Amino acid sequence: MYGINKEEALIMHIDLNSAFATAEQQAHPSLRGKPMGVTNRISKECCVIAASYEAKAIGIKVGMRRTEAMAICPTFILLETDPPKYNAVYQKLIKIMLTYSDKIKMKSIDEGIIDFHGMEHILNGRTLEDIGYEIKQRVKDEIGDWMKINVGIGTNRFLAKEAAGWHKPDGLDKIDHTNLISYYKDRELTDLSGIAERYGARLNSYGIMTAMDFLKAPEYMLKKQVFKSINGTYWYQRLRGYEMDDHETSLGMVGRQWVVKDPSDKDEYLLPCLSFLCETTGMKLRYREVEARGVAVWVTYQNGEYWHQRRMHKSTFYTNQEIYRRALELFNKRPHGIVRTMGIYTYMLTTSQVSQLSMFDDITKVRNITKAVDEINDYYGTFTVYAGTSLEGKKIIKQKIPFGGTEYFELLLKSG
Amino acid sequence: MDPTIVINEKVDIVPIFRGHASEIMLCVPWKMKYGIREIVFTKFGMRHPTAKGKRMIHVFDVSDGVNDYRIEFDAERLIWTLVSMVEGTS
Repeated sequence: MYGINKEEALIMHIDLNSAFATAEQQAHPSLRGKPMGVTNRISKECCVIAASYEAKAIGIKVGMRRTEAMAICPTFILLETDPPKYNAVYQKLIKIMLTYSDKIKMKSIDEGIIDFHGMEHILNGRTLEDIGYEIKQRVKDEIGDWMKINVGIGTNRFLAKEAAGWHKPDGLDKIDHTNLISYYKDRELTDLSGIAERYGARLNSYGIMTAMDFLKAPEYMLKKQVFKSINGTYWYQRLRGYEMDDHETSLGMVGRQWVVKDPSDKDEYLLPCLSFLCETTGMKLRYREVEARGVAVWVTYQNGEYWHQRRMHKSTFYTNQEIYRRALELFNKRPHGIVRTMGIYTYMLTTSQVSQLSMFDDITKVRNITKAVDEINDYYGTFTVYAGTSLEGKKIIKQKIPFGGTEYFELLLKSG
Repeated sequence: MDPTIVINEKVDIVPIFRGHASEIMLCVPWKMKYGIREIVFTKFGMRHPTAKGKRMIHVFDVSDGVNDYRIEFDAERLIWTLVSMVEGTS
């Protein structure tokens, strides 16, 4: 009736439950069964970036401030993040997934996809549910007995992710043409992955109030009225189980942002931090073997205001110093005020030209010194050698855990 | 509150190297002498590798049934270090 995809469900989504908190409970048997969480750096106003299921059960949420969490549960335990530990879990999960198919894709540090298309022969008559239960057991055997995963199976990535979130924690579900409608019947719009408040409000304004309304909406309406783009068609197909998300995204920008530890308007506090953000941005650029032409700096203020400025340059750049010099020009133009969050990103990225010979001596020198510093840092650990302007910034800013892509995880670990 | 107590002291360790075991249990610390105390580990949490520059460090998280201990083995210098502990409640 709805043109639902009736193919066999061959996409499996694997999601580690409360990944960082569970990894800490795995490592610390005394913390198992207790409300606990993880934060980047413990301070009075730090945020919970991962909470155990025991903490979630009593109302402690990710993003909550430590003081709020402690008000709910005075015995709430908060640990600082340990990236190498999470990387070990991540690598072991990848290793397990690769034994089933070479077509895997990690969506982030704690979730990934196994595509079983073309792999039907290795199933040996077993269903994907059987494989899912086997993976759950292997995660316990090969990573740790406290580790739990959700497994979702679907005809496309979207439905597999939905299925993985159906019964948390430790669930295993499949969504295909046989149960897709009953699944949507129980869902609100914003329960769907990819539909947050803004999209939800937009859909509501066209009379689409529930997931079922969304499914029933005509493709023409979604494309021409609601989304006003091809995204409408993508959503129409995605909801019906057709694959719309099997593509690589190109690298658009590289940067770093930071929630200012002690909000301030003082240059002597903010500039070393900006310099440090530029250092990490430069490292990321060179790690991805790209150069940038554009640089942008943005700031949010204590009073809620936002300022942003960007500039495109004629030539490309990739060294920490060049990024800082360009970013500083922009940052110095910011309106006066107490800065709460700041960030820098580089854009208009092109493949690195570093391997090409330069006609100019000074350019060659810059390349050589950058290469030498990178090699020293690679050997002895990141930030063994870094700019004097970043000295104070490095003491203040802690390297963050990458929540989205895992492209920079190895780079982060080198700074351990 | 963070219950971690930072120690960072070299310690004597008796490890077990198993010939036939799952990857996570191939090498585990069994006993530790810390000060005058001898602590026997009864629960294994996790092992993970990390690096200090190019030096390989194996991190073991183990428990004596009450407290959790983080022990690091420097594979280049052959040194065991008790990095920290978390006091549990028995």
